[in-house]
Amino acid sequence: MNTTYYDSDSARKPLASEVSNLWAHRGLIRLIVTRDLTVRYKRSTLGIWWTLLNPLLTTGVMWIVFGNFFRFEIPGDTPYIVYLLSGILLITYFAQAVMASGSAIVNSAGILTKVYVPPEVFSVSAAIAAAVNFMISLAILLVIQLVTGVGIPWTVIFVPIPVLAMLALTAGLGLLIAAAAVHFFDVLDLTGVGIQLISYLTPTFYPISIVPERFQWMININPLYSYLTVFRELVYGGAGAELWMWAYMLVSAVVVLVVGVYLFSRSWRRLVILL
Amino acid sequence: MTEPAISATNVRLEYKLSRSNIGSIKEYAIKTVKREMNYESLWAIDDVSFDIAKGEVFGIIGPNGAGKSTLMKIMARVLPPTSGRVIVRGSVAPMIELGAGFNNDLTGFENIVMYGTLLGRTPQRMRERAFEIAEWADLTDFIDVPLRSYSSGMLARLAFAVATDIDPDVLVVDEVLSVGDAAFQIRSTERMKSLIERGASVVIVSHNLDTVSDLADRAMWLDRGKNLMTGAPLDVINAYQQTVDGGHG
Repeated sequence: MNTTYYDSDSARKPLASEVSNLWAHRGLIRLIVTRDLTVRYKRSTLGIWWTLLNPLLTTGVMWIVFGNFFRFEIPGDTPYIVYLLSGILLITYFAQAVMASGSAIVNSAGILTKVYVPPEVFSVSAAIAAAVNFMISLAILLVIQLVTGVGIPWTVIFVPIPVLAMLALTAGLGLLIAAAAVHFFDVLDLTGVGIQLISYLTPTFYPISIVPERFQWMININPLYSYLTVFRELVYGGAGAELWMWAYMLVSAVVVLVVGVYLFSRSWRRLVILL
Repeated sequence: MTEPAISATNVRLEYKLSRSNIGSIKEYAIKTVKREMNYESLWAIDDVSFDIAKGEVFGIIGPNGAGKSTLMKIMARVLPPTSGRVIVRGSVAPMIELGAGFNNDLTGFENIVMYGTLLGRTPQRMRERAFEIAEWADLTDFIDVPLRSYSSGMLARLAFAVATDIDPDVLVVDEVLSVGDAAFQIRSTERMKSLIERGASVVIVSHNLDTVSDLADRAMWLDRGKNLMTGAPLDVINAYQQTVDGGHG
């Protein structure tokens, strides 16, 4: 038993309560994350290997279409497949984390209406599961870098920085969406469309050079562009990320997380009643 | 005098029933502009106060829809009260709608660990206890089998075994004494009684008035969210039965 004293009147401090709730439930979070990773493919023959196979197959399809039919030229001498796979992995991480974390509370209604668990545990666990999934699938990218002769630069040890920043960004967004989805279920459909839009505004499969100059700002204000550029530089030595991109990445991560948690903690009281 | 295990003071809980049945943002926006948003407030719990002493068995009776389960969920911390205050001193074992979070794709062992952790215990402790829990529920042979192959009786036994595998200060029980077959019912009733003997406070909700009069030290009659009467179980049951017999229930 974690709590041996419950007072319904005790004030819930925004931010501080969430942090202590999540820490108190770290054992549960670890269980949910491993369950997420294993249950997803439990009924399939290949099991957890789908974590690697899935992005590989997507990349294969897009490589045929955009690498051969469209023949996109990538700046520098990076093979297109490395450029493409790195982009797809990071965008998939973002999309999975936001979608899973945003629907986590609605999906856990069966638990939340029966036992007391702080709802944010489910949202944050889903975002962490997506991050772990991303770290596992990173192995294919590294293998392909070796095979294509790109190699693995030493900067790869800093890859956890954009990964953690992305975790903060997606957890913050996920909490906001999760709380909103309890009130209006169609927030989740809207989120799907939003993710699609932001994915196309991120140069995953096309080079930034094909974007006409007057539209360039649309790419620049998209925070994912900064995340992706930083990630590409660290993981295979891609075109240099400028200082503002690092700043934009870190600031957006912190701001979105803080705002997400703060707004979430203002609405938690009515959440379970509405489920 | 020691402090009560549970004190509830002027507890109210409101459900907002929207007549207009709004399911989307668009409808919400349109109806807000047109000022068609009419909520109907339903006070599922309406100004209820009571204290439950340490070691006391407290029964709650009342017709369907009286708010009994809602009140249990408030004590189990699942639902925060809209107003008023609830204080629970000690660890709580909620035995309402057992088996929350059971996953058909996971094995008995994995579900024992997950369910116990959801109930607030640590995963390590659950891993250590899992085999004894399965043994008590007569499910040793099924511990590595996915839950999809369990019968509903087996699921109920597993859930009950996990939920009662602790020494709680407060037990919140909602009609779970009628779990499994006759043999298991005897054993589960015995386990409940041994938890009570070890000094746990118990809140018990039941439609079976005999259960309440057998076990409870005190009882409360709840109707439409209001506390109509609190006192000795037999007095409260008699008063309640008179209204039922009189055709009001």
